[in-house]
Amino acid sequence: MAMRIDPCRAARALAAIVFMLTGAVASAQPQSARPDPLLAHGFERADAGPATDAAAARFLAQATFGPTLEDIAHLRAVGYAAWIDEQLALPASTQVPYLDWVTTLPSQPDGNNHVTDATRLEIWAINALGTPDPSRGNVRPRDALRQRVAFALSEIFVVSNKNGTLAYQPWALASWYDMLATNAFGSYRTLLEDVTLHPAMGIYLSHIQNQKADPTRNIRPDENYAREVMQLFSVGLVQLAADGTPVLAGGQPVPTYDQATVRGFAAVFTGWNWNNTGCGPGSYTCCTVQTYTNCGPYDYNVPAWKLPMQPIEPFHDTTSSKQLLAYPGSTLPGGVLAAGGNARAELAAALDNLSQHPNVGPFIARRLIQRLVTSNPSPAYIGRVAAVFANDGQGTRGNLGAVVRAVLLDAEARFGQWNDTARFGKLREPLVRTTHLWRAMNAASTGGRIDTINPYPPIEDWYGQGPLRSPSVFNFFRPDFRRHGEIAAAGLYSPEFQILSDTMAVGTPNRLFSLAFCWHSDGESCWTNGRGATLYLDTARDATLAASDPDALLARYDLLFLSGQMSPFMRATLRTRLVAITGANRGRQRVQHALYLILNSPEYAIQK
Amino acid sequence: MHVHRRRFLVRSLAALGGAGLSGAFGSLRAFAAATSQQAFPPGDFKALVCIFLNGGNDSFNTIVPYSAQAYADYRSSRTVLMANGGLAFDQATLQANALVPRAPVAGLPGGPPSDGANYGMHPAMAGLRGLFNDGRAAIVGNVGTLLHPTSQAAYQAGTVAVPPQLFSHSDQTTTWQTSRPDDANANGWGGRIADLLHAANSGAIPMCISLSNNNLFQRGDTQDSYSIDPSGVEKLSYLGEGPESWVIGPNAAGIAAWQALVAEGAQAHLFERAFADSSRKAVDNYEVVDAALSGAPTLATSFPDTPLGRQLRMAAQLVQVRGALGMARQVFFASVGNYDTHSYQIDDQQANLAQLSGAITAFQAAMDELGTADRVTTFTASDFGRTLGVNGDGTDHGWGGHHLVVGGAVRGARFYGAMPSLRANGNPDDTGYGQVIPTTAVDQYAATLARWFGVDTAGIATILPNLGRFASADLGFMS
Repeated sequence: MAMRIDPCRAARALAAIVFMLTGAVASAQPQSARPDPLLAHGFERADAGPATDAAAARFLAQATFGPTLEDIAHLRAVGYAAWIDEQLALPASTQVPYLDWVTTLPSQPDGNNHVTDATRLEIWAINALGTPDPSRGNVRPRDALRQRVAFALSEIFVVSNKNGTLAYQPWALASWYDMLATNAFGSYRTLLEDVTLHPAMGIYLSHIQNQKADPTRNIRPDENYAREVMQLFSVGLVQLAADGTPVLAGGQPVPTYDQATVRGFAAVFTGWNWNNTGCGPGSYTCCTVQTYTNCGPYDYNVPAWKLPMQPIEPFHDTTSSKQLLAYPGSTLPGGVLAAGGNARAELAAALDNLSQHPNVGPFIARRLIQRLVTSNPSPAYIGRVAAVFANDGQGTRGNLGAVVRAVLLDAEARFGQWNDTARFGKLREPLVRTTHLWRAMNAASTGGRIDTINPYPPIEDWYGQGPLRSPSVFNFFRPDFRRHGEIAAAGLYSPEFQILSDTMAVGTPNRLFSLAFCWHSDGESCWTNGRGATLYLDTARDATLAASDPDALLARYDLLFLSGQMSPFMRATLRTRLVAITGANRGRQRVQHALYLILNSPEYAIQK
Repeated sequence: MHVHRRRFLVRSLAALGGAGLSGAFGSLRAFAAATSQQAFPPGDFKALVCIFLNGGNDSFNTIVPYSAQAYADYRSSRTVLMANGGLAFDQATLQANALVPRAPVAGLPGGPPSDGANYGMHPAMAGLRGLFNDGRAAIVGNVGTLLHPTSQAAYQAGTVAVPPQLFSHSDQTTTWQTSRPDDANANGWGGRIADLLHAANSGAIPMCISLSNNNLFQRGDTQDSYSIDPSGVEKLSYLGEGPESWVIGPNAAGIAAWQALVAEGAQAHLFERAFADSSRKAVDNYEVVDAALSGAPTLATSFPDTPLGRQLRMAAQLVQVRGALGMARQVFFASVGNYDTHSYQIDDQQANLAQLSGAITAFQAAMDELGTADRVTTFTASDFGRTLGVNGDGTDHGWGGHHLVVGGAVRGARFYGAMPSLRANGNPDDTGYGQVIPTTAVDQYAATLARWFGVDTAGIATILPNLGRFASADLGFMS
């Protein structure tokens, strides 16, 4: 890992001293400009530290669903490298057992033991927040990095309850998410196979019950999964250099594949059907040659929704040779898979063909960096992470745990905010702003379940996103979205801005308003719930401090929410607001107003 | 069952007894908009409504021939009847849903289908079929993304450049919305129309209004778009007139703090400025729109309670208050999904097209009610058409497809452009693999609408610089 020395840093540090001594704001400088901290960084290795609580909070904002005071202290104690080691070793906290547990509960209050897609979001929230899981004897999930990366993967490998079938299959979607979490630090090749064979994906991109060509009926293999597995899950549309920049020919990007390749993969993905575990009389129709398109589960919590698809060989295309990806080093001559293989053998060959393509490293690296760290990583940063994808140092390709470590411990991730002060970072996703609020404020429900993640109307109507609720396989937002105006003019990408429409610019703050002002440790201000499933912010933790010392409150929230990056302007603005609140409840009310204004401020909204 | 947000707001407002708290913003702008009503003659109003069918509609099972040869060709591609689990309509169903085209007018395009066949419309679309047969809707055959006119031979030989990444959803959606397959960074043609005509409006909100969140179609080089929740204006709770404002009571100091944080020029970081800009604009725009909508009588026309029905109802309401908004020109964008029918096509398309037809039919009734039927033109767009061949219970990504244009200014009950063969084998009009090569470019479709909307020839040339490559700059479907 190269050490980064910024020659301008000394000059900026001097300027910062002048700034702090004079307290003056130059007229041309925006009010939120903040002085650089002095000698706080940059002379140590990127993976050493954290040297300060603020550095720890900043790392946790990238690596988890939001820092807590407890996690900051622990990270300071063990350091980045050991913290990542701990996290990589923790098994996945999963969702399926929670759904199973809910079915065993008493039926009252009404609907208490019903499992719907809202139940899936309860356990998503429990695992994201690390609140006690009532289905596991109130164990607190501790795999914060894994849960955060699983969410990032769910925005790359997309299935969604907006599909007419999956809307009513919470076990299928929970099982899908568990599959992502389980594979989050494993092998990309394994992940790709599990993605390909999961019945939720089989339904979502329609390769379940896909069949070989039948010229007499003008039937051809379904191309849906074949196209998207290339475009979105592995290699992308155009050939990439090792640092993710497009390869150009005559000034134009070079396509990675063409329609013949789509047809080749479509023919590979023929013959797959439901897993027959548990099928039979009294259950559901087993999948056979005779029942090929008329089999599968009805009930939503049977094994077939959770187990990998199985082949029915007579429906697999064994007679055509298949054009797969052609690239230097491909083990298939010309990228062509010779005819004759069975469904499983051809699938393995095709997934090898995909996962060994040189595009995969930079393609996945850029997406993970964008999800966790910054919207516009430098090619060098992408290249360093892609190199780890290609070889984790032990000769293994596609080690996702090593890739995640490389994403987070890169010099650009740790110090980018100082080197590109006006552009580094990303818009925080509304869901992550929400988990951040809950985690930082030790939110908990009295009964362990969580209704607060399921508002009315559904969460995606407020945020433009919800876990596994994308409107299409292209995710809530795309990696190459550029917001109109200054961002587009600068040639930058800003994926998360795609869901910041005028509608969501009101919906998201209003949801955060509810969370800050309606449910807190003094009680319920707006609505009563009655099921013990409302998340209350622990406003009491900070109320005494807020009542007596608003500056200390702001210092705490600067650390928890802004990683110590709050500008003097913002601090002064918030202070003016807080001291205007008087009266007996001023402590709690100051906490609430501080939280709302921070959560909806430009400085917080951009994670830097 | 999706219950929309407006009901939630109405209920929560009722819960707080209609507490009237003064808004933080917008009073000046609302006043400016309200007083600009006389700034343009009321007759000079036009609106375009783009309905984007996300996923790629199978238009070859939407508008389907039933006369002998053309039907036989259709059945060579769609071999299995619906009654037997396939995708094919039987001939009698199509005939019972016949489209009755008018004769051509000498010297003008449009008339019966170019292939001489008889066509029926999907039976879920009775309302739209009625509009067609009444002369208020037209069909534009086989429209798609093109760089140049091309042919099967040229496509297969690779001798004529085609748009990049054909058959990819994201790319073809982009290309449909920009009509600039040669420019990956182009903005949308709806937005570029607004760039040219924005001076026609005196009001404060953008000409381009989305009922369906952010989209590229409405993004201009200089002009922004505004998106509104189809269920109505929701305001920020923290600023005093939102759903739960009552819980914090008077909040002048809080509002001042929020304003200071998002104020223009207060942010050091490029993305912070963008976020602040979004925050301010959302509030500025909703104050203007809310002031206009709250003064309007309720529309008598009822709309289907579907996603598209709700979107078009809001579009109709915004047409209704165009004067209060100071708008002589409006460009709307609505969209609905689930058109990517790789599987379950029969059921899904039935539901999709019923929703489409019901919403457009209601919208036309509302335009009649408002007296703006001749002033508002609705048109469909979609990622691409679908393959003629099937994959079992669905179809795959194609290229060209038929589209609908609806409104009182449409020269309706006519087909425009060329209707392709639907033959499975030896089809002269496809790529060789069931993807139909467009014979009318999106550029031509867009240019025809833009001309009607008031963009002059020079303006059209700037919006659609490739238009001159195609035979006709005006398809003639607008009067």
